[in-house]
Amino acid sequence: MENALIVLFGLTMLYMAGTSRIKAYIKMLSVQGFLLFLICYFGVEKNNLMNFIFLAFETLIIKTFAIPMFLRKILQKNLIYRDSEPHIPQFYCLVLASTILFIGFLISYIDYPAFSLINPMYFGVSISVIIISLFLITVRHKVLTNVIGFITMENGIFLLSLSVAKEMPIVVSLGVLLDVFIAVFILGLLINRISERFEDLSVCRLSDLKDCKNND
Amino acid sequence: MIELILIFPLIAGIILLFTKTVKLNIFFVLSYAILHLFISLYCSFNNNYKDITSNIFDTYFKVDNLNVLFLLILSIIFLGVAIYNCGFVKNKEMHRHDLKYYSLAVLIFVFSMTGTILSTNLGLSWVFIEATTLASAYLIYFNKTKHSIEAAWKYVFICSIGIALAFVGIIFLSIATGKFDSLFFDDLYTNASVINPFWLKLSFVFILVGIGTKMGLAPVHFWLPDAHSEAPSPISALLSAALLNSAFLIILKVFKLMELTHTDHYARILLITMGLLSLFVAAVFIYNINNYKRMLAYSSIENMGIIAIGTAVGGLGIYAALFHMIGHSLIKSSFFLTAGNILKIFKTKRISAISGVLKIDKTTGWLWILCFIGIVGLPPSPLFISEFLLLKALVIKNHFIIVSVILILLTVILFGIAKIAINMSFGEEKGITTGKNEISDKPELTFSLYFPQIAMIIIALILGIYIPPFLNSLIKNAISGF
Repeated sequence: MENALIVLFGLTMLYMAGTSRIKAYIKMLSVQGFLLFLICYFGVEKNNLMNFIFLAFETLIIKTFAIPMFLRKILQKNLIYRDSEPHIPQFYCLVLASTILFIGFLISYIDYPAFSLINPMYFGVSISVIIISLFLITVRHKVLTNVIGFITMENGIFLLSLSVAKEMPIVVSLGVLLDVFIAVFILGLLINRISERFEDLSVCRLSDLKDCKNND
Repeated sequence: MIELILIFPLIAGIILLFTKTVKLNIFFVLSYAILHLFISLYCSFNNNYKDITSNIFDTYFKVDNLNVLFLLILSIIFLGVAIYNCGFVKNKEMHRHDLKYYSLAVLIFVFSMTGTILSTNLGLSWVFIEATTLASAYLIYFNKTKHSIEAAWKYVFICSIGIALAFVGIIFLSIATGKFDSLFFDDLYTNASVINPFWLKLSFVFILVGIGTKMGLAPVHFWLPDAHSEAPSPISALLSAALLNSAFLIILKVFKLMELTHTDHYARILLITMGLLSLFVAAVFIYNINNYKRMLAYSSIENMGIIAIGTAVGGLGIYAALFHMIGHSLIKSSFFLTAGNILKIFKTKRISAISGVLKIDKTTGWLWILCFIGIVGLPPSPLFISEFLLLKALVIKNHFIIVSVILILLTVILFGIAKIAINMSFGEEKGITTGKNEISDKPELTFSLYFPQIAMIIIALILGIYIPPFLNSLIKNAISGF
């Protein structure tokens, strides 16, 4: 069951690589959050109730509702709907993302003694999700899509931390959650400032600070 | 006792949020700085660290031989910046709300750096180092110009991604630990023999790249020049002289683990590569630069590179690295604060628009020259000693090629900074080219805008001639584990 969910989680990244509507990205973020909740529900041992409640809160409340809602608000405020003309056409993005996902599967099933310490399914998919997110950040133009790439990367890291099956002290996991949440919040506020000051929300506008002659 | 420096900023922050008194802002920042210095001095003179910590904080925050040095540097720099801050805030005429959030962000920024330095758990260090990014984001954005938005965006985004990668490294490390389940540094050190070397090596790469982003090592340094040049000067000083050190401490602690598990050869190669690359990048950009705050930022990258190389060489090299760090923090913070004065007088960051600082403002001019002598490592500077020791350590280990590369790059950097600093200080006074401001409307600079730089540069130059036994034993204790 959980393996099927993890594969679904990996497939959401392919959908993100293939589409250009920002609303669809945000919807996918919600889906990812919910999938992570289901993975926690089926995969994590529930002998530590406190820890499980914390995970449920993180995935269900923060990842599924709070962050996507916040992003939708920014979207409405700044009236951007598409991330058109990425640096690489959508189709090639999709091909590359699928290749990365495939390689992720392959690597995690290599018969190497050190790999006995991990759960290959979790490991392969989460590493691929992290790499695909980094890849999408580099191809996409808009600052908002970059933030979405950052969030999917954090989701990948969350899945990776589930694969270890060891618990960090609750202080640490709380701190991590708080940091990520505030980072997204600050990036969101900065997006609003950028849209006030710059012509559009393209990353290419943010290239004034250089070491060239005319810069002061 | 150390819980005081962690609780005070939080309480002060809450009080600031709900009060409207303007004077309270300056008062809290200054009193936090004094408290910080007092406690870290107490810790560094008191060799028995056991009775300093209390039980509640004991598990997560501890003063030990290594981090007490970093704590002391942070305190001294913070006090200097806090004193400068009094004059800075008065001169700047900012809105009450802005001042409130500014002071609040400074308090939280220093709080999170202190947390990074003191935390005993790798995960907790991660939490705090990410918190430094978030707290300083507002400070970099503070001037609210187009450029500062761009710098803040790049800073938060690049650092957050870098630090997220470091978290991947931490997860790998917890895979490497196998049966024992702990990320406390002490547990890691005592159980070093059972750690899986494959995962440990993998985790070191991620942690080095991730935390190295915050430290400003070369291939991942891109946020640094932008953020340092756009932030208000006291903040640039804090970023350069304190934040980079705290990030370095985490790398140093993980490096120690690598040494204990005998996988350090691999770590050394990575550190030397990044260090040399930092020197190279700094040399290339400093040679032909047009913004003096960016020049200082690149010089920070250079010095972090030297520190990384020193760590990698080991032995005498680590002593050199830590001593270099002390010298760099003192000199670079006074350099940035002086740059703040120049910015205030000339209202431009463009190098070509400035000359004759000595004629316009004598103290600032001399400070600028002294800082320049300090930062490039000309003899009375402590950086001369540390760089000399580093080269000696490299020669002992027969790394002649690295020595010659470092020497060439350092010479290029010396030439680049000297050209700029001398052109700016001497020569005829120039009415500013933009025409907006004449020298006649030179702002009055209060004494608090000179005092911290003078004090810090004097301390630094004295350290270059005479290292007090107290400091020497502090550094020796710090490197005793390596």
